[in-house]
Amino acid sequence: MATTLDFRTHVDQSCRYSEEFVNIYYDCMDKKRRNLTRLYLDKATLVWNGNAVSGQDALAEFFESLPSSEFQVHTLDCQPVHEQATQGQTTLLVVTGGTVKFEGNKQRFFNQNFLLTAQLLIFFKWK
Amino acid sequence: GGHKGRSYDRSRRDRQPGSHSGGFGGPGPRSRLADMDEDVAMSDNSQDSSAQHRFNPYGRPIRKGGDGRFDRRPGKGGGGGRGGGGGGGFRGGRGGGGRSRSGWFKIPHGKKYDKQWLLTALQNICSVPYRPVQFHVDHNRAHFYVDDSSTAHALHKCSHKITDTDGYKVEVHVNPSAPPSSLVSDLKPEHLEHLKQCMAKRFDGSQQALDLNNIRTDPDLVSQNIEVILNRKTSMEAVIKIIEENIPELTCLNLSNNRIHKLDELAELVTKVPNLKTLNLSHNELKSDRELDKLKGLKLGELWLNRNPLCDFFKDQASYIRSDGNDLPAPIGFDVETYYSIYDSGDRQPLLDAYHDGASLSLTTPYSTQNPSRSSLGEYHKDSRNLRRHKDSTLRYRLLKHTRLNVVAFLNELPKTQHDIASFTVDVNTYTNTLLSFTVSGVFKEGEGKVNPLLKYLKTVQTYGLSTLCHSLCIVNDQLFIRMATTEEIRRAFVAPAPTPSSSPVPTLTAPQQEMLTAFSQKSGMNLEWSQKCLQDNEWDFNRAAQIFTQLKTDGKIPDVAFIK
Repeated sequence: MATTLDFRTHVDQSCRYSEEFVNIYYDCMDKKRRNLTRLYLDKATLVWNGNAVSGQDALAEFFESLPSSEFQVHTLDCQPVHEQATQGQTTLLVVTGGTVKFEGNKQRFFNQNFLLTAQLLIFFKWK
Repeated sequence: GGHKGRSYDRSRRDRQPGSHSGGFGGPGPRSRLADMDEDVAMSDNSQDSSAQHRFNPYGRPIRKGGDGRFDRRPGKGGGGGRGGGGGGGFRGGRGGGGRSRSGWFKIPHGKKYDKQWLLTALQNICSVPYRPVQFHVDHNRAHFYVDDSSTAHALHKCSHKITDTDGYKVEVHVNPSAPPSSLVSDLKPEHLEHLKQCMAKRFDGSQQALDLNNIRTDPDLVSQNIEVILNRKTSMEAVIKIIEENIPELTCLNLSNNRIHKLDELAELVTKVPNLKTLNLSHNELKSDRELDKLKGLKLGELWLNRNPLCDFFKDQASYIRSDGNDLPAPIGFDVETYYSIYDSGDRQPLLDAYHDGASLSLTTPYSTQNPSRSSLGEYHKDSRNLRRHKDSTLRYRLLKHTRLNVVAFLNELPKTQHDIASFTVDVNTYTNTLLSFTVSGVFKEGEGKVNPLLKYLKTVQTYGLSTLCHSLCIVNDQLFIRMATTEEIRRAFVAPAPTPSSSPVPTLTAPQQEMLTAFSQKSGMNLEWSQKCLQDNEWDFNRAAQIFTQLKTDGKIPDVAFIK
């Protein structure tokens, strides 16, 4: 069995992972939109203003339909999700906020939250 | 197919003559008379099934797009301004009522099998197709009805022809019987016609939405002495039949406030109302999330469940506070309204019950160049956790509140608030057997009655709960983002909700109120019912009501039905 890390270590690690993730995510979103779906699990769901988009195909279509973007992340916060709720699967809650300008639209505020699981963390670690 | 052979031994013993319990006479050792079949609980699972129960077996709940208050009313129309009428609707009465039958037969079986396996196995060898009616299990026996004697005869011939996985032969016994209780409606044809008319009035064709909230008290039915009580099998089946025959393309169904405790009949919706996307079961008597398994197969977008026993938020019943005012349900098993009632109450200590022992909470406010002491967010800035600004790991750690005692102690230190409960929205992000992740957002002001700028919050919550148990969810992670509200959010905040028709008794109006009502109805073009609701919600302040009305009308939020005189 894996050793249980103490909470402080979890928090430290989650901060590092979330910073790295957020950089990659918004970089993809702005500059390499087609790669974005690689960051999502096969069965992931995205909820945008109350509308759900599920699965790789739908996500790909969705991201393609968005105009090109310029995101500025001003706030970033993260928490390790309690292991009981995730049945031991290491998961991070990441919450971002800032501004975004989509082509053809005026600049707006945005807020976004992510649930990252260990699979993605490994992906980032070795990138 | 799976064969639950556990109860097998019991039924084997039953085969010995004399040891058979409750002799009933009639042909065969296990025949039973029809009157023993009163509304037997239909179950195709054995009593102590250990089947997995998913938290949400019916598809992902999502919030309907749009921010309008009307959009959030389940089962009711969304943005108005569309032409009246619309597709579908109640068609004229079809010729004839029931199908012709030559008699009813009941077939008891000696063993408890997996229903699907049994019915399929029988169909495979039976020379005629059959439709089993009111399949149910009683003790060790499976029963169902078929509707004519030749089918019954054909099924009887299948006796001893099927061998189960233990090597025993399946027995089929046939008895004549009265029609099963499920099809004997206590609603006469003329009652059904009235019910149909009543339902037609509650149907919004432009939204394909049917509102059966508290239908028992509908004046049209009450005045005719027609009892439509939806927690009764017969009433529910009558309603579903009418839907099936007239408006099968229905997408929104509101069954709130009908004392519903079982969803057995609603399982029929899967085949009969396949386009159903929104189902409102709020304010009923559902006690277990297992009931929801009966809705398996329904591809719902929204399922409203609040104000059912299964959603009880607090483990300690005494601390449950019922929130007053408008019924704006959140489509999850977490009582957001109660959370904010307590949050606004002045003492946040009871929130301890909402959090898991190991819960975490952090708060973020946007970066601001303003002098913190001057900013309305000043109280929150000092505790804001923002990894873009704080690089020191110790500071980052300190800003995260951990364990519920620390979480609630921290919340108790935050300024007193007043949340606009009518304006919050809930989005479910994801869920598993043990985790439910959702986001609540809305506006609030600080203090009571103080003239303070409005603040907007976004609370991202991870909750833990076991979907196999009827337990409430508790928060394991709580992330709170707070910023200033935009002018648009301010404009819409703390406004009386749009008028909707209700079936509550109309209080008698004073003469000036009558006059105001007539005038308002004339000016707005809305019928008296809606005009009255608008005036009532605005405390009979004509100008205020007119303002609200104009605002909502411009936003296209008033459904066409308000203007039907």
